[in-house]
Amino acid sequence: MQLTYLEAIRQGIWEEMDRDPSVFCLGEDIGIYGGAFKVTDGLIDRFGPERVIDTPIAESAIVGAAFGASLTGMRPVAEFQFMDFIGCAFNQISNMVAKTHYLWGAPAPLVLRGPSGGYVHGGPFHSQNPEMWFVHNPGLKVICPATPYDAKGLIKAAIRDNNPCIFFEHKYLYRRIKGEVPAEDYVVPIGKATIAREGRDISVITYAAMVHSALEAGEVLSQEGIDLEILDLRTVSPLDREAITQTVKKTNKVIILHEHSRTGGLAGEIAAIINEEAFDDLDGPIVRIAGLDSAIPFSPPQEEHYLPKVSDVVREARHLKGY
Amino acid sequence: MGAKKTKSKQSSNGNRSRNGAFRSKLNTTDRRAYSIPDLRLEHPDLTVRQAIEKDKDGAEHVRYEVEGNLNAPVPPIRDSKYLDKKQCIEIYRYMLLNRKMEVALENLYKQGKVVGGVYFGLGQEACSCASAYALDQDDWFAPMIRNQGSPLVRGFRASDTMMQYMAKADSPTRGRDGTSHFGDIEKRNMVSPISMLGDLIPVLSGVALGARLQGRNLAVMTYIGDGGQSTGVTYEGINFAAVQNLGLVLFIESNLWAYSTPSEMQYRCKDLAERAIGYGIPGVIVDGTDACQVYDAARDAVERAHRGEGPTLIEAKMMRMKGHAIHDAAAYVPKPMLDFWKKRDPIARFENYLVKEKKWLIPKENAELIAEVERIIEEEREIAVTSPMPTPESAEGGVFCEDGCHEIKPKYGVPKVKRGTGSGPKQTEAAVHLR
Repeated sequence: MQLTYLEAIRQGIWEEMDRDPSVFCLGEDIGIYGGAFKVTDGLIDRFGPERVIDTPIAESAIVGAAFGASLTGMRPVAEFQFMDFIGCAFNQISNMVAKTHYLWGAPAPLVLRGPSGGYVHGGPFHSQNPEMWFVHNPGLKVICPATPYDAKGLIKAAIRDNNPCIFFEHKYLYRRIKGEVPAEDYVVPIGKATIAREGRDISVITYAAMVHSALEAGEVLSQEGIDLEILDLRTVSPLDREAITQTVKKTNKVIILHEHSRTGGLAGEIAAIINEEAFDDLDGPIVRIAGLDSAIPFSPPQEEHYLPKVSDVVREARHLKGY
Repeated sequence: MGAKKTKSKQSSNGNRSRNGAFRSKLNTTDRRAYSIPDLRLEHPDLTVRQAIEKDKDGAEHVRYEVEGNLNAPVPPIRDSKYLDKKQCIEIYRYMLLNRKMEVALENLYKQGKVVGGVYFGLGQEACSCASAYALDQDDWFAPMIRNQGSPLVRGFRASDTMMQYMAKADSPTRGRDGTSHFGDIEKRNMVSPISMLGDLIPVLSGVALGARLQGRNLAVMTYIGDGGQSTGVTYEGINFAAVQNLGLVLFIESNLWAYSTPSEMQYRCKDLAERAIGYGIPGVIVDGTDACQVYDAARDAVERAHRGEGPTLIEAKMMRMKGHAIHDAAAYVPKPMLDFWKKRDPIARFENYLVKEKKWLIPKENAELIAEVERIIEEEREIAVTSPMPTPESAEGGVFCEDGCHEIKPKYGVPKVKRGTGSGPKQTEAAVHLR
């Protein structure tokens, strides 16, 4: 059936709650209101207020409580109204949740999920892509799906995973992207990238909303005889090193594209992996396309300038083709 | 005779009834009828402030000075409502184990066998041991750094803590963390603390939430200092437990010094137990050097938790009798203040109570008990010292729970699932925050 990205996530949570009584949701305004973006709409009527818990506006308490419940064998799914607010709970996530299995052998099967990303004029506190804060914390799995199929398969995989998973839902995609989602139960494996477009000439390594920008650029460039291969990472931690290496070995030219700011961004890490695994296969410089090194500005012309655009990919690909 | 009087409650208790349902209307008779029970038999009135002192060369220095009645007599131990002779002796034994383990740690440090520093709970042993003693087997707890006695009560061995300090391969964390930072979610229901203060409070609340979803009302106990309670997550955690009516038993250990900062510079209210009023939960004050008071308040709170009546805040007043850690000589503490609290040593007071007042231990039995504890600590020390250091390669692995290393399932049984007739979202295309 055709589902939006948002409906796919809701269906994934719904099915997991139906399947496993140890799954429950908590977060701000997720119950009767159904969440700021309506991802959890209808869950409270089906599963009851015991399993769909409206919490105080207290992100550290939400993460702490989710972690505590997970220690008793529950599988909590905690919503952040916007992923920008995950910073309020950073200590719980970084120092408590991420380290717990390594330090004292306690698994923390929990999911922290919520909307991230720009292109909706949300301003500096409702548009961020804070995934790198967590990529730098060993012990967390960081998931950023781009399609309805992957969003549903990965939220289900995250709920079933025995480790803390941070699930970034791109709010620009919520209602803009529709896709085929099978009716039967399936999961998408965490840590595995997928080829969103096969091509010969240049690899674009990207994830989340940027996959769609890359696909659009791919259409434009195909008119000019430039054949992009687009690797959708799907999970940004742990990274699929093998898929990254394979695509580089195939095309020998790489653009890494992400929405968050350039310095200390994921592109730097991917470039380092390519350096380690496929240095001899490169026929040109590794190109980074990323957000500016500033906060995400509010005003639409400024936001547009800050964020990567289809035209950036087209321009960089044309340039890289010349090597 | 007029309107019927409803029995007044000891405290305001949120706006939820026992089963978690909202009350239909606010009981106006509860308004502003707050009280904070105080079990203490004395109310020390010491205050600390900064003052300028001149040295012999006339140079000025800022120092702390103490004011108040420093000669007040030491109060008696308050008879417990609950504890019998055997239980009192058992708590006393744990307190001795706690102290003698820390003395052994101090010696190991001086011998260069400890990696890093040593933290002490000197003067706080009654609070650590009698509180943990009030928990039932299935209840959960998480100690803070000065509660090294609590894990002993819950069945950990002194060698566990000693090996943690020596970073040994056989330590509960296999060398990966030190001090009291270890836990056990299977048998002893202990959550490992982290160094950041207050973060355990929502975590323990979450443990109670998870257990409640599985049909169990458990007590979940943790501790915070008068310094640590300044953190925002303390507020978040207590408030979460309060609105969710979870069985949190929170000890605020008012030990007067947060590293080098006196409690006067941490908070403005008279007693931290007053904070309970703001959370809408019961608060109580105890003398943290009196094991019977600590136990009674803890037991009442544990039983409230088991009845599903929600959290309790217990303020235990005492003084941290050493520096923040072994490197800190605590020269900033005014000497008369230290002397005042030395006379209130929890172990000396409890020993006096058991041996002289109650005569539950004759001096010979007491001497034998002390000798037995010393022998145990020596054996534990030996175990800890002979444990090897971990291999360098053991730093690797275990970041993730994978390849079936843990089977995860609800600890207290599969949660009962209620299914409503709701079949999906009400209004998928409803107004949303940002499009």
